[in-house]
Amino acid sequence: MKANLLGKKIAFYVLIIVVWQGIDSADIWPDNIFPSPIEVGEDLLFGLSDGSLLYGIGTSMWRLIIGLAIAIGGGMLLGIFMARVETVNQTIGSLVLGLQSIPSVAWVPLAILWFGLTDSGIIFVTAIGAIFAVTINTYTGVKNIDPSFIEAARNMGAKGSQLVTTILIPAAFPYMITGFKQGWAFAWRGVIGAELLFSFLGLGFLLNVGRQLNDVSQVIAMMLVIMGIGILIDGFVFKKLEDKVMTKWGLR
Amino acid sequence: MGKIEAKNIVKYFQHDGKPLKAIGGVNLTVADGEFVCIVGPSGCGKSTFLRILAGLEKPDDGEILLDGKKLVNTGPDRIMVFQEGALFPWLTVEDNVEYGLKVAGIPEKERHDISKRYLDMMQLSQFANSYTYQLSTGMKQRVAIARALVMDPDVLLMDEPFAALDSQTRDLLLVEMQMIWQKTKKTIIFVTHNVPEAAVLGSRVAVFSHRPSVVKKSLDIDYKRPRVAEDENLGQFEKQILSALRHQGPK
Repeated sequence: MKANLLGKKIAFYVLIIVVWQGIDSADIWPDNIFPSPIEVGEDLLFGLSDGSLLYGIGTSMWRLIIGLAIAIGGGMLLGIFMARVETVNQTIGSLVLGLQSIPSVAWVPLAILWFGLTDSGIIFVTAIGAIFAVTINTYTGVKNIDPSFIEAARNMGAKGSQLVTTILIPAAFPYMITGFKQGWAFAWRGVIGAELLFSFLGLGFLLNVGRQLNDVSQVIAMMLVIMGIGILIDGFVFKKLEDKVMTKWGLR
Repeated sequence: MGKIEAKNIVKYFQHDGKPLKAIGGVNLTVADGEFVCIVGPSGCGKSTFLRILAGLEKPDDGEILLDGKKLVNTGPDRIMVFQEGALFPWLTVEDNVEYGLKVAGIPEKERHDISKRYLDMMQLSQFANSYTYQLSTGMKQRVAIARALVMDPDVLLMDEPFAALDSQTRDLLLVEMQMIWQKTKKTIIFVTHNVPEAAVLGSRVAVFSHRPSVVKKSLDIDYKRPRVAEDENLGQFEKQILSALRHQGPK
């Protein structure tokens, strides 16, 4: 079954490359508009060999991790407060819903004015793009906790921060993971979008350099890298984490 | 010690936006080491009364005294066993049982020793590392009881803990519950809607009236232990409980 599925996937991607090469060989469009898969592959190899690609990946990942960490920490805190304190929910809660509708790149002008063309500016855009997804899912998770868990814990003597760390967070964790997953997806879009506009290192910057040099194969190569990293992080970090938690909880 | 006194407990519910008097002045004194079952018609507020004893809800009037001291908040001196167990699904059986000890800051080694004793007592040792979804309903309630006992509370409050069990499992737990009581000498207040269960377990049965509820009848069950549900001699007690339940006002 599993080998069969893998086989299908490999066949599909091989087919895409074959069709792509076929269209290129048909010479419908010039190479500077529609490069062949081989040219894109060469660009990737060149980027790897001169280190610029790895440096770009490293820079983007570093910004992503810091931004996402801020979003997860802040989002959890805010979400828990919103779920547990009605006044916070009635006031900040409505603002959170509004802010969530702002696309992260729309924060870029503000970030440039506040932070200049710096790492902090890009991290700010990354974090703010992701934080509200974490907040809202944490809020939903805490709101959905079986009230008897909280009562039992209070009955056994848990209070304050103990109640938060030993009950609220683990009990809401299946929801929080959804928030982390959404948050990561927003953060990744935020990093790349901000790097494009800041033009200050990272994969988004390399993508933009490709455009400035009219180098279509570089542009496509960078898009593939961005997609590849997305697939890897989704599949190996969040899917694994989700599976582990769901199994432990008996939810699947 | 675990003498608990409820004095003139009154509690209103909100019903269609209007206050509805659910508990209408319950007076109940349970002596240290006594096993009292509370039965009553559904909706009479017996579970709410138990939650008030636990400090999980505040009465609108009246007070609760534990060994003469007025109680305000919830606390580990009165541990509640919930109807569905309220076990934490993210923790193993052992970690569930140790939860209260951990919160109290008891060192790991000591925690293990205590939990091991109660896991053995509840025949759960081989499930110590299981998660709760892997357990049957009966096993879950054993874990809930073990988790309550490790806290060494003065009073054990049990809210229909066997309501969801099949009859075989329940019969088994009814016998075990009596053994636990005799071994630990805890004060136990046990809410149930099941009359034979009350007759098997209780040294005394308090019958609540329809709401606004008061203690309508308090019946001593002076009979040898361990009792089993099929013992015909318990029938006379069951009849008295049933007739007290039946002589109620209109529903």
